[in-house]
Amino acid sequence: MFWLIDRGGGGARLGAWRQRYGARPLRSAMHNVKRTRQTPEEREARKRKEQTKIEEFTSLSQTVLSKKKDGDWSQDAFNLTTRLLQVNPEFYTIWNYRREILINGTFAKSSPDEIKSVLTDELAMAMSALKAHPKVYWIWNHRRWCLENVPNVPGQESEPSHLGWKQSAWDRELFVVEKMLDTDPRNFHAWNYRRYVLARMPNAKPESAELAYTSRKIETNFSNFSAWHQRSKILTSLWAQGKLDEAKSREEEFELLRNAMYTDPNDQSVWMYHRWLVGTGGGKTILEREITAIQELLDEQPDSKWCMESIVHYKRLLVKSCADEVDVTSLLGECKELYKRLQELDPARRRRYQELAEEIDS
Amino acid sequence: MAPSTTDVLLTDLHVSYVQKLGQNKDDLTYHLTSHLRLNAIYWGFTAVCILGRPDALDRDEMIAFVMSCWDEEAGAFGAHPDHDAHLLSTLSAIQILVMQDALDRLDVDRVVKFILSLQQPSGVFAGDKWGEVDTRFLYCAVNALSLLGRLDLLDKEKTVGYIERCRNYDGGFGNSIGAESHSAQVFVCVAALAILDRLDVVDVDTLAWWLSERQLPNGGLNGRPEKLEDVCYSFWVLSALSIINKVPWIDAEKLSSFILSAQDPESGGIADRPGDMVDVFHTLFGVAGLSILGYPGLVDLDPVYCMPANVIETRGLRKNWQALPRRQ
Repeated sequence: MFWLIDRGGGGARLGAWRQRYGARPLRSAMHNVKRTRQTPEEREARKRKEQTKIEEFTSLSQTVLSKKKDGDWSQDAFNLTTRLLQVNPEFYTIWNYRREILINGTFAKSSPDEIKSVLTDELAMAMSALKAHPKVYWIWNHRRWCLENVPNVPGQESEPSHLGWKQSAWDRELFVVEKMLDTDPRNFHAWNYRRYVLARMPNAKPESAELAYTSRKIETNFSNFSAWHQRSKILTSLWAQGKLDEAKSREEEFELLRNAMYTDPNDQSVWMYHRWLVGTGGGKTILEREITAIQELLDEQPDSKWCMESIVHYKRLLVKSCADEVDVTSLLGECKELYKRLQELDPARRRRYQELAEEIDS
Repeated sequence: MAPSTTDVLLTDLHVSYVQKLGQNKDDLTYHLTSHLRLNAIYWGFTAVCILGRPDALDRDEMIAFVMSCWDEEAGAFGAHPDHDAHLLSTLSAIQILVMQDALDRLDVDRVVKFILSLQQPSGVFAGDKWGEVDTRFLYCAVNALSLLGRLDLLDKEKTVGYIERCRNYDGGFGNSIGAESHSAQVFVCVAALAILDRLDVVDVDTLAWWLSERQLPNGGLNGRPEKLEDVCYSFWVLSALSIINKVPWIDAEKLSSFILSAQDPESGGIADRPGDMVDVFHTLFGVAGLSILGYPGLVDLDPVYCMPANVIETRGLRKNWQALPRRQ
């Protein structure tokens, strides 16, 4: 019924190959493209100019689709799909046809070495498409298919080197996705692809390297929740496998968060990650220590919503998990006070604070 | 002529905007979006239904177009005649046929076979035979099977199991296991769970907290922490909130004003943000958001299926969601 059609950078950055067809993005779903007014004369002029392009595009589409119907797996047909995808990289049927040509036409009469080289070209073609359209699902999908079809090195089946071609292709892919994340550090297509590559590459990278990568991304920008998210997944896995001293690592994370909180107490990413970290365990000692630390920040920033939101959450956690060891009545009284202040400070979510406060009374 | 204001919903303009979409054949972008045609018809048709004008588009022409998108080899629908079958366009086709009460035109057995063939051993669905997987496709499958009355053929345990493994500590869901929470993926996962009567999988308080924090000071909603607002999230976030009965956790009035301010007061349609170019995708999700917020004069939208509520009620499929009461 839908998909996320998000061209991020907007219509202006559509890439050189779309220039011939105009920089206006697709009308069915547009993001971040300014509305401009056109006089009837301007509209007419534009329509006349577009007429030739429309004829070219529709005739190219018809030619390619009819070749597809006829099962034409020739090089000529393949070249036409390149042209068509350059005009419209979202034409998923044409990506499908391209793969059909590769499988039934090209691969069927090629040596493994030739197949490898065709797929290398294919990855390069998809790369230039991605640079212009970093959020088109079909292009990322095509890359996955290419990677998964890189053959083994023939004649070396019993040697470890028979995976050589695959290894270098997947290694290069990690480099590619890092470039994409340098350009847009929140692109979820790129993060999903990154997790896919890390999970499937023949020379698995140690997870400690990925932890270091998230550190670099977070240092560049504390607001990068995608990097914090990735970090939570990697740490969970490293702790579970005993590859990191969990208690020590957790303390290091609290330290990192302390820095981030003081840098920008309004940044959601930091508080959400903090909530994750507290939730991983530690009990009463950690909860009380964190409440005190956040309270200190709140004393400095008396209107910090996130300080209050977090304190009230952790106090209620304390009541829930250690009722026998804490002063329940005074903690809940403090929570009610905080909810009252939050209602004034953050009226958009007033009802939430009201309901949570009422919960205490009931 | 008095200039139109964006303080109120410009119903007539939006209806005429949707009507004109099919007549833009001398516009290049019309042709460049052929791969979205069936989806666009679903978006446009649902929008005019919620605006209370279901007759604004020609029924026979619409059904004939839907049927012309049938991919005989695959046994499902592509987005346009001669385009390959995909779950995204197949769900749109089924939704349109249900809304037009024309399911008798469909080879239900074949299309059910197509849908079921796409479930993977992990429980998620691929979008087509090429194998891209995503919780969006899982939702498409569950929604379509439910509309076709064939949910009994689905391995529900396996399906729910996959969604459960996509749940993050923030209460949200991603597009695959390990992926970051994203409002649109939250919608597909929560709505699929609602259809499967398995909302027990949702951590309601944590998810409602995360969803309510999507509202920004200008009233608009974003899709993830520290991102910009966009009208389409009005639907993704609100639908999930209404399924877990927490719409009041955001400021409805501010969100309504934000959606209304993204209208094009001259030619109709709604954009992602005020002042941007409109499109039919944002027009539907803006109108859908306003319907959930109880905007006067609109028809009730079912947030689980993203179709008119009465269509879903007639088929006995209504779940226990709650929108805001419709204002007079």
